Amino acid sequence: MRAPSLYVPGRSFVHRADPLTKAAWAFSTALAGFIVPDWRATAALLVLNLTLLGLAGALRRTARLILASAVLVATFFVAQGLSHPSNAEPLFRVFGLTFYREGLLVAWVLALRLWNTIAAIGVLVFTVRPQDLVTALLMRGLSPRAGYALVSIIQVLPTLSASVATILDAQRSRGVETEGGLRVRLRALLPMLAPLIMSALAAAQDRAVALEVRGFSRPGPRTILRPVRDMAGAAFWRAVGLGVLVAAVLWRALGG
Amino acid sequence: METRSIWSLRLTTFMIALIPVAVAVNYVGKAIAAALKLPLWLDSIGTVLAAMLGGPVVGALSGAINNIFYGLTADPVSFWYAITSIFIGLAAGYFAYTGWVQSTGRAIALGLVVALVSAVVSTPINVILWQGTTGNAWGDALFTALRIHEVPVWLASFLDEFVVDLPDKVITVFVAYLVFRGLPQRLVAQAGARRVQGGR
Repeated sequence: MRAPSLYVPGRSFVHRADPLTKAAWAFSTALAGFIVPDWRATAALLVLNLTLLGLAGALRRTARLILASAVLVATFFVAQGLSHPSNAEPLFRVFGLTFYREGLLVAWVLALRLWNTIAAIGVLVFTVRPQDLVTALLMRGLSPRAGYALVSIIQVLPTLSASVATILDAQRSRGVETEGGLRVRLRALLPMLAPLIMSALAAAQDRAVALEVRGFSRPGPRTILRPVRDMAGAAFWRAVGLGVLVAAVLWRALGG
Repeated sequence: METRSIWSLRLTTFMIALIPVAVAVNYVGKAIAAALKLPLWLDSIGTVLAAMLGGPVVGALSGAINNIFYGLTADPVSFWYAITSIFIGLAAGYFAYTGWVQSTGRAIALGLVVALVSAVVSTPINVILWQGTTGNAWGDALFTALRIHEVPVWLASFLDEFVVDLPDKVITVFVAYLVFRGLPQRLVAQAGARRVQGGR
């Protein structure tokens, strides 16, 4: 198994923008989607982010993530449509349950916010390799130890995931029941997980020694092997991102 | 070895190497829960185990890095819930270091505490972001029923989260405890954790 990743390779201008500018944009517009008092503004942010994703050629990925959120969205409509305190105007009845207009509108706003979160953060994660984002943060003063912890997941995870199938087969062949009632399946949990975790921890010990002999905990500055450069006008674009957030807060505070 | 404060921020290299393993174990726990068709998430076994081994700071770091990594590679909504993961790591680490992983009974009690912490921290996030629902069908059915009977949103949302967290976190902590108990003494000592001898 490869490390999980949402990165979509490409050369669009969204791809070429530097990681921190995109991070500022992603988190600002995701948050702004929650703060603006009018759902049409959230919808506008969503359209804007979807446009950026379209330019980056990542719309299909985005659609898959939005589809994956269908259960969450369904719970919004059922829960709020049935029980939101502002409910007054009955819209329709299903299985003897009355859905109200006001609650369904609330659910619609929540769904827009969720989709905007996915699209906004998508602008970052679909177009940046996690390694590059961590490098950019390291250049801004993130501790190299935290940077290592974040990046090395990409190496540890595939090894561990690959052994899941092996251990599942091995334990089955030793007679561990993995199918049947809930109790049987719960009891299978430990024989699956224990060998995995033990070997992963032993590997972590080895890695700690390997890091140590390479001067991992030595104090002092570090050099970056492949520096990530800021895009032209990065400061301006970051200001635009934060401007959206500030505008949302002001609108909410003064007008909403 | 000198004794360290459990809130010490000076992490050994092994503790740092423990964090990616914790995140990977969280991933794999989730995958195994799905493979065994268990109605649980089991996505914080690694965080809890790292907290038992390395204390609250390592637990909290594992929790935060877990959600950042998950947000970057699988599900953007996960970023908002980094706070819950941090508190799960803090709580598990603090209580583990004050002696709550010495017997089966205490491990189950620790599971209850972690479930409570997780639900208490998640509730404001669920209320602020989604007006109280969690996306779990059983919990949200309860939420809706309670809201129709005019139970306040905070209480309904807390119960929504808690009914799911209770079995999930108790089993998570219990599995982590069983693994922790079976670890070689050398490894436990290297991580700086204390474990009562002869617990087996």
